Amino acid sequence: MKVFVFDSELCNGCYNCHLACKDEHSGNDWSPIAKPQQDTGMFWLNLKQVERGQVPRVKVSNIAHLCQHCDNAPCIEAAPDAVYRREDGLVIIDPEKAKGNRALVDACPYGAISWNVELELPQKCTGCAHLLDDGWTEPRCVDACALKALRFGDAEDFAEEIARSEELRPELGSGPHVYYLNLPKRFIGGTLVDFEADEVVIGATVTLQQEGSEDVLTTTTDEFGDFWFKQIEPARYRLYFQADDYLTRYLDVSTVDEDKSVGDVELFAAPAA
Amino acid sequence: MDTRGKTIYKGVGFCSAACGSNLMSIDIDEENDRIIRIRPYHYSETNEDMSAIRPWRIEAKGAVLDPGDKITMGHLQASYKKRIYSPNRILRPLLRVDFDPEHGQRNTQNRGTSGYKEISWDEALDIIGAEMKRIIETYGMTAILTACDGHGETKNVSGTHGCQQRLLSKILDGNYTMQTRQPDSWEGWYWGAKHIWGMDPLGQNNSQTNVVKDIAENGDAVLFWGCDPETTPLGWGGQVPAMIERFFTEIGVKQIHISPDANYSNVAHADKWIPVYPNTDAALQLAIAYVWLTEGTYDADYLSTHAVGFENWAYYVLGGEDGIPKTPKWAEKKCGVPSYTIKALARYWAKHAVSIAHCNGGSFIRAAFAHEPGRLEVALLGMQALGKPGANQFKFLEWSIFGMNTIKPVPGSKRVPSAPAAYRGRERSYAPSMIPKTMIPEALMLGEGERISWYGHINAGLPREDQFTGPYYFPMEGGSRIHMIWADTVSWQTCWNCGNNIQEAFRHENIEFILVQHPWMENDAYFGDIILPSSTKFEDIDMGVDAENGAYDVIYYEDRAIQPRGEAVSDSDVVRKVAEKLDSMGGIFEGVLEKFTEGNDVEDWIQAGYKTTGARKYMSYEEWKEKGVCTLPTREGWEDEPAGLIGFYEDPEGHPMSTPSGKLEYYSSALAQMFPDDKERGPIPRWIDESDKHKDRLWSDRAKDYPFLIVSNHPRWRVHSQHDDVTWLRELGLCKVVGPDGYRYEPVWINPKDAVRIGVKNGDVAAISTERGTVLGGVYVSERIMPNVVYQDHGARVDIIVPGVGGLERAGANNLICPSATTSDNSFGEVTSGFLVNVKKVDVFELARQYPEAFSRPYDKDCGQILASCLEEERN
Repeated sequence: MKVFVFDSELCNGCYNCHLACKDEHSGNDWSPIAKPQQDTGMFWLNLKQVERGQVPRVKVSNIAHLCQHCDNAPCIEAAPDAVYRREDGLVIIDPEKAKGNRALVDACPYGAISWNVELELPQKCTGCAHLLDDGWTEPRCVDACALKALRFGDAEDFAEEIARSEELRPELGSGPHVYYLNLPKRFIGGTLVDFEADEVVIGATVTLQQEGSEDVLTTTTDEFGDFWFKQIEPARYRLYFQADDYLTRYLDVSTVDEDKSVGDVELFAAPAA
Repeated sequence: MDTRGKTIYKGVGFCSAACGSNLMSIDIDEENDRIIRIRPYHYSETNEDMSAIRPWRIEAKGAVLDPGDKITMGHLQASYKKRIYSPNRILRPLLRVDFDPEHGQRNTQNRGTSGYKEISWDEALDIIGAEMKRIIETYGMTAILTACDGHGETKNVSGTHGCQQRLLSKILDGNYTMQTRQPDSWEGWYWGAKHIWGMDPLGQNNSQTNVVKDIAENGDAVLFWGCDPETTPLGWGGQVPAMIERFFTEIGVKQIHISPDANYSNVAHADKWIPVYPNTDAALQLAIAYVWLTEGTYDADYLSTHAVGFENWAYYVLGGEDGIPKTPKWAEKKCGVPSYTIKALARYWAKHAVSIAHCNGGSFIRAAFAHEPGRLEVALLGMQALGKPGANQFKFLEWSIFGMNTIKPVPGSKRVPSAPAAYRGRERSYAPSMIPKTMIPEALMLGEGERISWYGHINAGLPREDQFTGPYYFPMEGGSRIHMIWADTVSWQTCWNCGNNIQEAFRHENIEFILVQHPWMENDAYFGDIILPSSTKFEDIDMGVDAENGAYDVIYYEDRAIQPRGEAVSDSDVVRKVAEKLDSMGGIFEGVLEKFTEGNDVEDWIQAGYKTTGARKYMSYEEWKEKGVCTLPTREGWEDEPAGLIGFYEDPEGHPMSTPSGKLEYYSSALAQMFPDDKERGPIPRWIDESDKHKDRLWSDRAKDYPFLIVSNHPRWRVHSQHDDVTWLRELGLCKVVGPDGYRYEPVWINPKDAVRIGVKNGDVAAISTERGTVLGGVYVSERIMPNVVYQDHGARVDIIVPGVGGLERAGANNLICPSATTSDNSFGEVTSGFLVNVKKVDVFELARQYPEAFSRPYDKDCGQILASCLEEERN
């Protein structure tokens, strides 16, 4: 079984995957696997970018959205005569039989099928099956990926990655063959500052507690007075700041809607004993 | 099904000046004359025994940096098919409709807005021949300006840029005028850093051997100072820079980004971002020095043996000279970095092995007085024992520039391959009659008897001492003013200072004839009187070298991918056609064709080039041509080569800098002697607040009307102004913002706080203005830019609404509103980032009512302005 593995942590957002897909499929007719992709407005591999955080803690995370080549493919269910699953697991829309079948676009819960206006055809990622059948070892998007964020191969060769992977939409139970690593969650970061002394506070203990939970995460501010909790759940949190010679204080922060850079958090020197 | 086609090879880099890069495999369908795909070249395609190329890897702290088995690509290569097949290609010679020199009708004032019509090659050559004959006989050769440097497709035999020089130099005394090539992306290091550490010709560290390995083994942190390895290197190399960043992450080398914007590397790889106001880095740098001086955390012993004049400078930093100690609190007000962060950074740096990384461009090095941050950086590196393990300066691009084999921070081959014998572009770096590129507008508009002067040849490849030569003058003694321009580089407006002045210059009556050759209708081409169609390199046969990719150096034969489109011919054949025409006219042109071709055809030039590359050692010409690629092995013993400036660190006498003293010169006696009255670039590096010509501070009086500083980096989605018509890029991410009128505007990033303040939201169109004019931008509200600063890449394809100074431009070509004045009084660099602008929302529908002609030009929603936009028949 062929699988894709996408690691969001490794992706630098260069769009090579999407562009290599355009290069391969736009202007080239690979029937019977695929008719040409439209020049613009079609994203068989759509690199979705999420801008996260606030000045001065801003990240962009990327998630590759493509056909999940599902075991229980809703598109096959919707059009069993026009969509088929190959022995290697790749799901293919037959460009002859699917012509005019606009309903297929809506059949995919991942939004991976799009409508080619010019050809009146529902289209999606083929895993470059036309290349694999001709002896190539991987699809164009994977060959184009410089940082190995997107990989492709036999499921057994990716057992370790698959074991720790996530699905984009596990609630669907569609049995996808695209496995995701390090999908972005939320972060909280900030800087501890003693404004009176005009100094950052180094080595302070910062504790993060999710509302309604006993579990805590702990870190220490670095040489810039910075702390950073990464890959935490969207939730309400209380942050505790403790440092020698400073009054302990806390701050309530919510990451329900977005990542948070809490900025400069003031610590107050404890009164001399 | 045969999916492969026939594979040929092309260097898909965009430096142009014979600096090949980005070797790609091109699969073609010969039968149907089409390109199937452009993909990364795999070394195994032409190397049966991979061990023969001696694969390298750097191992440290449990991780490995391995460049892999292919030459990685970026989005500029991945999408290049669309550039070749762009609807904006010029396919036949064009004539400006109101240019009729035969009847004395030149209408120079209409350049930039006139329409064009297609004409035959014969018609075009007749006009060109007559104009050149008249101009040369009337004014002499110096009246012809060759506008021929800058970036473009990198070709050798096909001759971009500057092939016209090889014809003009064969006519009469051959003394054409040339614009000299600035150190345009590293101005501050060239004009400043050279005076503290030499480092010719760039002013950046020219000893970068093994620096990445050294940092991996000994370094704690890298300061990415206005540096984006995810952007700038893509036109000159692949993604090895990104791989290095990833490697640093894996081994815990702290990546600290210091810039006003969270650039594409920052958001993917940075451990810390320190936002700093544009062109205020000098204040931050001085305050770091202040902390080290007052806390005694710098290497005084090192300075006593490696530096001169440190005391003079330290006296200034501590406030002795002007009564102002350069404290973190002093700096905070200027640079926007909190004083406690400045102190934390200074202390971190003093305790750890820290290097600085660069990628050229942006407001750190291309703003007013850029020489000051350029040399202050070296001053800081010196205080922490520059050259000690883990402490160097290095770059993520231009790893083979000027053929130097000591500037690649990752392993390379024994000798940097080059093919000068095949190069048919620019024939020299300066000429007796010359104009610095930053002074072109005023030079073109000189009145009778007027002249301009400057110091140095202003050429990127010359050593420090050249800055002290001169003064030089234009027109030269006995020379003419400019009356004709022959341009194969059409990006003055999109790459240089105050392009609105250049629009005035291009329309000036002095300039009787503008001849352009180019593959695409863009930018300065709109000002041509005759435009000749050049082919892209995919339509040419050529050769190249790639020592920039960061993996293994290659020398390649570039077969033709497709037949030339339309009536286009290669850049050198465009010149050849002109040469044929002139030759046929006899008289002063007699014999120029033979002199131009030197009796060689394309194959002859490629053979000559092959001989100089070093490929001969590995394969015969025939074998190379058959195989397509010769890979040079990694040089033996690279692991043991001294890293970076360790030689200078350990033995400054034995490994001196190229300064007069051989040491770091915190006080430059050469500057003191040559320019004793220079208040902006004095003998020691200082904070320069304003000058008569540059008042671009948030606290300047002008800031009342122009309250934002603008950052303009080398673009993410282009190489300068190339690629702006690529449909596949224009619909991606942040490449363009679709305005309410459907036009794709160049994004202008605005912090959410500022967006609220000036009342704009995502997708609005904003006017970005200075006294020089206005360009438009599509608003992108983002935390990726600090408050009080806006960000817009430079190089968007010019779309003129109102030409000239005070004009209006639609696509966001912000070079049109840059300051005209150069870096400082005796430094002639461009100032194209870090200046004040105003930003306000505009109603594009109201603008369309106001300027119906400009807004109704044919426009392709995916590609933008296309050839049809300026063809008279399409307009009517």
